Amino acid sequence: MADAIADTSFIVDWVRYSKSELLFKVFNVVYMPESVLAEVESERSLIWISKGLERGVLAVLPELPDISREALNLVAKSRRLPVRPVDYPEAFCMVVGKRLNLVVLTENGGAVALRDYDPEYSGVEVWRGIDVLYALWRSGHINSFKDELKLYQQETKRTYSRRDLAKYGGAHGGQ
Amino acid sequence: MEVNEDKLKEWIERFREAKEVRRRYANWEFIRSQPPKVRVALEYYVETGDFRTAAKMADMAVDEFVNMAKDQANIPSTD
Repeated sequence: MADAIADTSFIVDWVRYSKSELLFKVFNVVYMPESVLAEVESERSLIWISKGLERGVLAVLPELPDISREALNLVAKSRRLPVRPVDYPEAFCMVVGKRLNLVVLTENGGAVALRDYDPEYSGVEVWRGIDVLYALWRSGHINSFKDELKLYQQETKRTYSRRDLAKYGGAHGGQ
Repeated sequence: MEVNEDKLKEWIERFREAKEVRRRYANWEFIRSQPPKVRVALEYYVETGDFRTAAKMADMAVDEFVNMAKDQANIPSTD
């Protein structure tokens, strides 16, 4: 199993999913930057995080000067483009993903877009919740990708675009 | 920075579509009934999808703002 790094947008959605523990069937350890931890204050998020930290399946990644510097440069670069920019916490995750070969877990379109338009980050594995669900289905941890995606969208109030859904076979996920 | 211009154009369109989805499903009655700080933050979020700045405007934690936007203002998270 791989390791991953998650940003705030992913965690805020994922903790609403009733089977959120399944994340650790896909990843050994999920890292969270300090900047992400500082952004969550709701009881539900904090309980999920504290339980994960206790079990050692979540870990806080400290601010590292050279990664922070590159992340700040990335924020500045993305702000020069006519598209939703990347904020610092997502930029930090993208730089860590690139340097340490971790899967970046995000629901932030700015980060997903960056991977698509910036060749420097095209090699970074960027997953959304839908990609985690697909991996869970492929590994036999959920029975129906289609039903689970429906449940996930209901519980998290996340709406995937037709392009995201098309990756997996149509309007509601084919399998 | 060298960028893939075709992908950039595709994402500009994706973000425009996402804004339309947020506008369509938002509970405008709830949004308009909020005190100015929260109302403006929710309107900004609908228009931009920028939950982080919106949370700061509303003087809320990011997760608390996003959950309020989803559960009370009925603004779906999309792109």
